[in-house]
Amino acid sequence: MKLKINNLSKTYKNGVKALDNLNLEINSGMFGLLGPNGAGKSSLMRTIATLQKPDSGTIEFEGINVLEDNISLRKILGYLPQEFGVYPNMSAETLLDYFARLKGISSRSERKALVKKVLEVTNLYEQRGKSVSGYSGGMKQRFGIAQLLLNNPKLIIVDEPTAGLDPAERHRFLNVLREIGTNHVVIFSTHIVDDVKELCNEMAILNGGKILAQGTPAEAEGKLKGFIWTKIITRDELETYEKEFNVISSKYNQDNTLNIKVYSIEKPNETFINADPQLEDVYFVALKSDK
Amino acid sequence: MFSTIFNFELKRWLKGASFYIFLSLFFLISLLFGCISFGVFESVSSVRNSSAYANSPIALNGLINGLNTFIYLLLPIIVGTSVYRDFRYNMHTILFSYPFTKTDYIAGKFLSSLFVVILITLSLILGILTASVMPGVNPDLLTDFSVLAFVQTYFVFVIPNLIFIGVIIFTLVTVSRNIFVGFIGVIVVFLLQIILSNLTRDADNRYVVALFEPFGSEALNYYTKYWTVSEQNENLLPMKEVVIYNRLIWMGVSLFILGILYKLFSFTQTAITFGKGKKGDRATKNNFGGITKIEIPVVKHDYSGWQNFKTAWSLSNFDFKFIIKNWAFIVIAFVGLLFILLMSVTAGEMYGTKTFPVTWQMLFLPGSTFNFFINILTFLFAGILIHRGETARMNHLIDVTPIPNWVLLTSKFIAIVKMQILLLLLILIAGVSIQAYNGYNNFEIGHYLIELYGIKLLNFVVWAFLAILIQTLFKNYLLGFFVLILIMIALAFLPEIGVEQDIYSYNSDPGYQYSDMNGYGHGLELYYLYKFYWILLGVVFFCVALLFWTRGIPMSAKEKFSNAKKRFTTKLAVPMLVALLGFVAIGATIYYENNIVNQRYSQKEREKQMVEWEKKYKKYEHYDQPRITDVNVNVAIFPKTRDLKVKGYYFLKNKTKNPIDSIFIDYVDYESVFKFSKEATLVSKDTLYNFNIYRLKTPLNPGDSIRFDFEIKNKPNTLITNYSPVLENGTFINNGSFPSIGYSENGELWDDDTRKRYGLKPKDRMAKATDSIARKNTYISSDADWINFETTVSTSEDQTAIAPGYLEKKWTADGRNYFHYKMDRPMLNFYAYQSARYEIKKDMWKDVAIEVYYQKGHEYNIDRMIKAVKKSLDYYTENFSPYQHKQARIIEFPRTGGGFAQSFANTIPFSEAIGFIADVDDENDDAVDYPFSVTSHEMAHQWWAHQVIGANVQGATLMSESLSEYSSLKVLEKEYGKSQMRKFLKDALDSYLQGRTGESKSEQPLMFNENQQYIHYNKGSLVLYTLSDYIGEKNMNNALKKYIEKAAYQEAPYTNSIEFVSYLNEATPDSLKYMIDDMFKTITLYDNRVKNFTSKKLPNGKYEVTINAQVSKYRSDAKGKRSFQNAYGKTLTFKGKGEKYAVDSYPLSDYVEVGIFGEQKVKGKTKEKQLYLKKHKINKIDNKFVIIVDEKPTEVGIDPYNKLIDTNSEDNRRK
Repeated sequence: MKLKINNLSKTYKNGVKALDNLNLEINSGMFGLLGPNGAGKSSLMRTIATLQKPDSGTIEFEGINVLEDNISLRKILGYLPQEFGVYPNMSAETLLDYFARLKGISSRSERKALVKKVLEVTNLYEQRGKSVSGYSGGMKQRFGIAQLLLNNPKLIIVDEPTAGLDPAERHRFLNVLREIGTNHVVIFSTHIVDDVKELCNEMAILNGGKILAQGTPAEAEGKLKGFIWTKIITRDELETYEKEFNVISSKYNQDNTLNIKVYSIEKPNETFINADPQLEDVYFVALKSDK
Repeated sequence: MFSTIFNFELKRWLKGASFYIFLSLFFLISLLFGCISFGVFESVSSVRNSSAYANSPIALNGLINGLNTFIYLLLPIIVGTSVYRDFRYNMHTILFSYPFTKTDYIAGKFLSSLFVVILITLSLILGILTASVMPGVNPDLLTDFSVLAFVQTYFVFVIPNLIFIGVIIFTLVTVSRNIFVGFIGVIVVFLLQIILSNLTRDADNRYVVALFEPFGSEALNYYTKYWTVSEQNENLLPMKEVVIYNRLIWMGVSLFILGILYKLFSFTQTAITFGKGKKGDRATKNNFGGITKIEIPVVKHDYSGWQNFKTAWSLSNFDFKFIIKNWAFIVIAFVGLLFILLMSVTAGEMYGTKTFPVTWQMLFLPGSTFNFFINILTFLFAGILIHRGETARMNHLIDVTPIPNWVLLTSKFIAIVKMQILLLLLILIAGVSIQAYNGYNNFEIGHYLIELYGIKLLNFVVWAFLAILIQTLFKNYLLGFFVLILIMIALAFLPEIGVEQDIYSYNSDPGYQYSDMNGYGHGLELYYLYKFYWILLGVVFFCVALLFWTRGIPMSAKEKFSNAKKRFTTKLAVPMLVALLGFVAIGATIYYENNIVNQRYSQKEREKQMVEWEKKYKKYEHYDQPRITDVNVNVAIFPKTRDLKVKGYYFLKNKTKNPIDSIFIDYVDYESVFKFSKEATLVSKDTLYNFNIYRLKTPLNPGDSIRFDFEIKNKPNTLITNYSPVLENGTFINNGSFPSIGYSENGELWDDDTRKRYGLKPKDRMAKATDSIARKNTYISSDADWINFETTVSTSEDQTAIAPGYLEKKWTADGRNYFHYKMDRPMLNFYAYQSARYEIKKDMWKDVAIEVYYQKGHEYNIDRMIKAVKKSLDYYTENFSPYQHKQARIIEFPRTGGGFAQSFANTIPFSEAIGFIADVDDENDDAVDYPFSVTSHEMAHQWWAHQVIGANVQGATLMSESLSEYSSLKVLEKEYGKSQMRKFLKDALDSYLQGRTGESKSEQPLMFNENQQYIHYNKGSLVLYTLSDYIGEKNMNNALKKYIEKAAYQEAPYTNSIEFVSYLNEATPDSLKYMIDDMFKTITLYDNRVKNFTSKKLPNGKYEVTINAQVSKYRSDAKGKRSFQNAYGKTLTFKGKGEKYAVDSYPLSDYVEVGIFGEQKVKGKTKEKQLYLKKHKINKIDNKFVIIVDEKPTEVGIDPYNKLIDTNSEDNRRK
């Protein structure tokens, strides 16, 4: 199973280039798409999910020309948008039944069994009679997963699903995603580096509509081995360091000192200590070097 | 802070594009309607015949207020939005922490947005003024614009109404924080306005209605209802008591609502909710860290076409449930149901008597108003459903499922149709409930289902297609709704701009009508053809909607088109093109048949033909022609195929003193063969006007006769064109479609303005009463005097056919029934044929046979009709002259043929709609037994028309219609007493006064009326009844008897009203001769009223009553202009103490009744008891009467029974 994206471009009416000649190959397993807000993640995902037409380029999945044959892809697609609502005053059970019909499940008993199963999987069974519009954020996201499971999708696209979830919900959510992800292509966009670190076999960093880096998280970290240096400085020194070194991140410590990280092939100077590269560093280096 | 908010809001609107869009939209609408009423489109449609100006103050007020109704729809958009916007974008969370007061906020928002709406309404004025200077306006329809008229209209009606509705909308939106609520609010107001105007039409207590009708139109109507043409043209709107009170009341209500809003409103984050909140549960979570194995069961995914259909159906249930739970639906459907129930209160009422709640009546009740309700809901929910996913932000979840677009769109469509089915079910439920409530137990559920779902539903489905298309194209469904309403209204006005054919006007059809006798008739087939035609276009619309259906992220217009191109695959193109082809093919077929096979003429072209007819043939009008003396006709009626074949002959006699060399045959568009018994050559044949001229080889000498043979038959009927008047059951035709002799002026234009435009001289509708040439003809026939009549009529085996005369022979041959009728004495050249499956009821009066031929199931009033025939014969033979026939027959015909009865010699065709199903209440004094009164009116025609017939000159109908009304009133009075007279005469007065407001040429005095119904029926009955009351019934009838003796069965010259009135004049004492002048020779109206009265108990137990009453009268000219001077220039004037205006009167020497009334109990009910009634001689305006009566008076009156014509009959009495 493989998703191939070739030369995908999209420019919005207001002149923003959301996708810039983008090429990407995604294999089965969890694929993390990392990028800052406005990087074009959602545009890419909506385009793959057949919601949006690009200006040019092709997308192919399992022999399906996605952009030409929307319906074939939709049969094996599961999509959870970044933000969604539901018809008000309808229970999870009714709504899932509705989606099951949309997804072509004709038998009433099969529909019933399937809806029950996905409710159980997402741990919503207890709340199945409550109206989804009244669900909390986490429950609603789980409902989103429940609906996308209904057609046993081979390609699953989830757009920033963990934003705004409490830690427990986030864990729960990622676990479910991981369970599904083993046998399918799951594309998962986020701007939270930890999500990718915890979950993904493969990842890409996207910014300005372009892929900046791609690989497994371990590979990516490995590539930076020996090039990340750290030091504790005072707040007043930051500007000097930023001028002098390639500072990729700076974080406050509890005593108001700053912990900065610098990307450098050689040790910048004696005061720096070599650090083990984190995925976060990969992310920042990629963004930084794109400028 | 108020001004900050006000200015901010105002600027926001004035800077936005939408304000200017609305401004120009309403300018254009107003321009269009202005153009229509000012006759701009007369060059393509027909000339508007009216003597009332289209821009008089009252006409302008009507036009502007009508257009302003559409502006109500802007109120939620503008006034509602002003607050809604703050909630919508959560601005209120910040705004409400700012330092301004509730008053600043509410007043600022409301007034600024209302101001914007008022600015938009001003575009109406601009549109109307522009329309008035457009090329092509008809200058005869325009007078000078009055600035004051605009001021009155705006400040008294338009703006207060906008404030009132605006306050409601503003309050609804502010309290609910939902603009949709405001929107539904305005629709409900809109519908209530329609309902109110329906209900108040016949309201008895006009004063109360005028006070409390919220839009002020009834208050205005209170004063202007009886305005004559001259008053309409010249008067400003009356700013009198009721109008002022009404406006004050509703401004007060508006303020009160604002006050409530002020109370309810608070700067809080959440909207006010009603009802108890649910008990809160403490929410906890226990889902930490669990890892479940996910094994999704394998199920079958079926994406086949058939499954998709099933899915569309099941998805529609989700949308349908959503609709019926939506309270917009609930509210509007409830209002609709209420409307039907309210309408049923006066169902089919005539003279206070209702009809039985028969099923067709129940189906008829909801009428176009309920149709409008269904359309509104269709337009609204088409939009809500199409945008439902987007509104709930669930669209992306739906859009990525493998469901094809057409399944989604079809499911919405089905949901809409299901909603329509449910709404139609309301009609059934309401109908059956009304029937059950009235104890009518003949529930024809099958009939309900056939009409509602077999016929009506199609009409709504066609609208649903259009709604689906428009709502798909518009992103904002409120805008889509607005556009749909505009389209619907614009379509109704297409004929006004010269687009007359049904095939060009979306969803139009030739209509259908039900009668118990003939069911839906053949018209239904054509209805289905048209509906199929429109459904095909609907399918095309549906396909176009599919092309532009939004799936995924909305696209730019350019992308949409390229996407549509991509979607235009064979799968879509084939059904779309097939439907389009079918649509065009049917349209072309209809066009071909209606325009090429049968030459079609527009209104305009017909107008021109009338001109040409007159110019070409008028010269033959007085060319000597022989007269028909004998008629012998064979009429064959074929109910199954609806064909008519007539074969017969006339004997034509030269009654002139000169030889006649040519004969003119005027006929109708049938296949015709004509033959003369003497050699004649056809010198001119005109197939357009169907007018042939034959020259006789040897002229017909005076006293000689010639036989004229004719054969006519209709072309075979087709699905689209009906060439014959024959019905499957209930045929009713008269000799109007048989050939006639000579030129007929009926085909001429009569409106003088139109005539002027074509260079024709003005003409009278009828010749002057003294015109000796015109007096050669009766007003029934211009080619015969009295004829000998014999006929054979045949019809299908299951039907009976009837014609005037006596049945000589009846036989069956070749599966058809034959009837041979012969009249034993000369009669008018006026006869009819009827054929249907009849039941017959027979009876006798002395040696006169009475027969009623009726539809099975219509037995209700047969006995009343027979009784009326007998009582009429009693009264008329005693008072007028003997009955000339040995038989009297009443024969029912379908309501589709009209709602009237008509008298032929010994034969009275009688519509099923006006008596057969009347539910007469003998206990109710205010309900006239009209089956009885109509029968006696038609019976009276056996004297007044069939014995005495007026010449074809002005006033002829005084001796037929007015006298028949008078005669039947007398029979009714004898049977039921005076109580039924009051209701009858009250309605007659009202109909007369309303009739004259719509007079398009000139109101004539009764004696010179030109076949004007409001004069000869309504005024005539009132005047003759009053005269007999004044001069005495016996005295009056003796005069009539003498007149009949003189005029019955006379030959030319025929009698005229001058002769008739001279008999009345002779019977009238000198002191009352003024009545002849007032009531017959001129138009005279009274203005009588009781100012006040007092009563005191005298020591002897009697009561002394003092009445102050005002009596005045005036003459009115043909346009309704008043004058108070008599021939000597004398006028009476009176100015009461402390009164603002003086009262004028035509000099008085009149007798007017003064009455005093008490109360008495009859069977537990309080009824009025007349204590005193006497005619007093009055010669001044201000009168004081002191009268002693025996009992306690409760009410007094001057002319209390409204025997005299008075535009305000309510102030004649006082309690």
